[in-house]
Amino acid sequence: MVTAVVSLIVAVAVILPLLVLVISSFKVMDFNGFDATWGLDNYRTLYTDRVIPKAFVNTLLISAGSTLLSTFFGVSLAWINARTNCPANERLEPFNLIPFFLSPFVGAIAWHNLAGGKTGLLNSWGRDFLGVHGNLFNVDNIYGVIWVTGLFFAPLVYLFVVGSLRRMDPSLEDSARTTGAGLLRTVMTITLPLVAPAILSGAIIVFVSTAGEFGVPFKLGAPYGWQTLTTEIFSKAVGDDANIYLGAAMSMSLGVITVLLIWIQQRYIAPRSFTTVTGKGFRPNVIELGAWKWVAFAFNIFFLLVAVVLPILCLFVVSLHPVWQAEIIPHDLTLHNYVRTLFWWAPDHISAATNGIYNSFILAFVGATIAMVLSLVMSYMIHRTKGFGSRALDFLCVVPIGFPGIVLAMGVLITYIKTPIYATLWIILLGYITRFFPYGQRNVSSVMLAISEDLDQSSRMAGASWFTTLRRITIPLLKPGIFAGWVLLFIIFLRELSISIILYSSGTETLSVGVYYLTNYENETLTAALSMTQTVVLLICVYVFRRIAGREALTA
Amino acid sequence: MIAGIKLTQEKSSSDRYVEVQSLVKWFGNDRAVDDVSFVIPKGKFLTLLGPSGCGKTTTLMSIAGLHSIDGGRISVGGSVYTAPQQGVFMPPEKRDIGMVFQSYAIWPHMTIAQNVAYPLEIRKVKRAEIDARVADVLELVGLTRFANKLATQVSGGQQQRAALARAIVSRPRLLLFDEPLSNLDLKLREQMRVEIKRIQHEVGITSIYVTHDQSEALVMSDEVIVMSKGRIQQKGGPRDIYSRPVNAYVSNFIGVANLLKGRVIAVTAPGRGDVEVAAGGRTVQLPCRLGDGIVAGAETVVSVRPENVEASRTNGGAVCLEGEVIQTVFLGNSVDCRVRWGEFEWKVMAHPRAGLKTGEKVYLRLDPEHTLAVQP
Repeated sequence: MVTAVVSLIVAVAVILPLLVLVISSFKVMDFNGFDATWGLDNYRTLYTDRVIPKAFVNTLLISAGSTLLSTFFGVSLAWINARTNCPANERLEPFNLIPFFLSPFVGAIAWHNLAGGKTGLLNSWGRDFLGVHGNLFNVDNIYGVIWVTGLFFAPLVYLFVVGSLRRMDPSLEDSARTTGAGLLRTVMTITLPLVAPAILSGAIIVFVSTAGEFGVPFKLGAPYGWQTLTTEIFSKAVGDDANIYLGAAMSMSLGVITVLLIWIQQRYIAPRSFTTVTGKGFRPNVIELGAWKWVAFAFNIFFLLVAVVLPILCLFVVSLHPVWQAEIIPHDLTLHNYVRTLFWWAPDHISAATNGIYNSFILAFVGATIAMVLSLVMSYMIHRTKGFGSRALDFLCVVPIGFPGIVLAMGVLITYIKTPIYATLWIILLGYITRFFPYGQRNVSSVMLAISEDLDQSSRMAGASWFTTLRRITIPLLKPGIFAGWVLLFIIFLRELSISIILYSSGTETLSVGVYYLTNYENETLTAALSMTQTVVLLICVYVFRRIAGREALTA
Repeated sequence: MIAGIKLTQEKSSSDRYVEVQSLVKWFGNDRAVDDVSFVIPKGKFLTLLGPSGCGKTTTLMSIAGLHSIDGGRISVGGSVYTAPQQGVFMPPEKRDIGMVFQSYAIWPHMTIAQNVAYPLEIRKVKRAEIDARVADVLELVGLTRFANKLATQVSGGQQQRAALARAIVSRPRLLLFDEPLSNLDLKLREQMRVEIKRIQHEVGITSIYVTHDQSEALVMSDEVIVMSKGRIQQKGGPRDIYSRPVNAYVSNFIGVANLLKGRVIAVTAPGRGDVEVAAGGRTVQLPCRLGDGIVAGAETVVSVRPENVEASRTNGGAVCLEGEVIQTVFLGNSVDCRVRWGEFEWKVMAHPRAGLKTGEKVYLRLDPEHTLAVQP
């Protein structure tokens, strides 16, 4: 009974927006933009339009490129950290994960100021100190989008791969050595094939995430003629030529691709992950790199430099200037940008920024809490009850992962545009929870699967009711999973952009929307100040969480 | 048919085929292996037996070349595998060995047949020959039907057989087993013991087997080495080890033994003597066989197997200990009795027909032939 009710609520939340999205993609807006008729014109427009086909190709190129880059960084760093004697391995690992918790949009802003055509600090240094004519780098194009996206999604591949490298039974490799295979041959014929499913899974997730990524192409691509599907959907949703039905059709075309890929990953690749785990504490084979360990170390430092250190330093420097002219001007330095973006009582404050901070904290706190309660109930239904309801719920937990935030947000927007929750924080909250509760649910599920059902059952045998058992036994055992899920969602919600950007309106800006507002309507230095604030808040969250939850945490 | 599997002849004396000399391995500040030496004649089956942490697996891994050693020398069939003093370390893949791991280590991304073919592919054997040899070996281990199954689709016992097939298919110089049966259930384990022994005998490859299970060691081995704390306690045939343990540790580790502290008061004949044993105010002199190095006046431990203690209701014979039955456990073919004698509890294996009951007074008779005085 309870299962049915919960399934129904979740089904409505998840399925309804997608259904509405499908239906409205067949509505054709008339010339004046007031009435709509049924037809396939939207889909025709997808390939006859001047921009959209190009955006489609750009999206595929960007996703493919950044997936390759992420996989290269992710796999090599995972291997270096997990399986070699690279110096300071243990210390470097948590830092390698940092980009995963920061906003790629902010990363794009930082790189724009670091290596943009006119605005790049590195470029002006190149001219001043190296005597380079023109620019050393230029990230204001598709390559820049690929570079920044690739860097920020590398930890995702890393997380997929590092686990299987660590948990691999060392005797699988030892036995290859004893049969006469050398080190290289063992890596090629045994180690790599064994982690291949993990690599492929990571790559697919990155491909899907980057196809749905809005912030980076919005900052580095679209203004320079490199539109993507997400930037086009955005302009159809809120831009001057708004046409939500066309936006729905574009969202559909993006959603179909991502859902297909996620389906392939879940159906064919994830089950192929070889269970090399036997519950024994393995000490993985560590490869002695000799002098090469310094190369590996330098490589890791390079990654941290370009993905974390340089962008953050650059943001900080930029945020201290009244205007950014690609040069550090020491006597101009001021904290005024922070005053204007942080202090809501300051006379010249920018309310999009101050509202954003306030709203984001509320959304993150309330959203993470509701999502975890929902996750708990759903995990319990899925793993501790049998029957149709539980299987339906399991399915519903996968669906939102397949849809980019911006696609789901379009569905939510069209569904609720005529209801009272439109233009409130509630619609954003709904969007957040619908899109991201599976992340929390997976955290709880993995712990729930690890603890034996006997523990629950023996409580029932001891005479405790279902509810008492949940309260006294199940929840305390699940605490680590619940907590890990909560913080992960809190962090995700604090930096969320692509849902908020579709669903916000004046007064319900979020932190990332504030950054968007500043970069679009104000100047780079104010943008940098708010970006810096967001980054610092996220870093503090990650740090506090690791202190509380320990090393293994935050590896969703 | 497996007649084709035969060892290539080496130019080394075949009774010193495997030679381990003064092997030393440190783990941090612990001597995991402390001056271990032994030789194995060609074609023989040697077992390293001991509790976990005794250094047996470390010794095996040193022979396999899966880690370096800190001292000593290992050679097999005339070629030196490891000799740190001479700076010799042959990487594992050059050592021409077959190894069966505790976790089977069957590669899950390959079929059983592909797993078994792997060592031959490494050795660049022709495809047709690979197929023939893989088929032979799979038949030998009884896996022909499962050749094309993925490792994940077969049972633990079948993975075990596949691991064995993979280890012997290339006809290596040496077979290494690292507790291969410890993950199997009891029935399967007993069956595989006999299987492994049969197959090893058939292919005639010199083997080293590591286990903590003493019955496994007794059933399978030509020779057993009992280890403890990185050192060899005793080396010998299974019968020797069981019936003539050299010290209290070995007699307790192999099977069950009654161990009593005592002192040799007289040597009555070569290898015979009387040992005075005291327990809870009672003192008795037991005629014993004396182990090596046990001389008059020496502190010793008297070791008696439960099956060598005779319990009866009548007092008779020279050495008779009077005690009280405090527990009887019926085991089907025998009755496991505990008999209190002073402060000491004797373990006695009685015949069910003797019908001993708890609380009864009994007399224990010891056979001097099977009463051993060993090193403490």
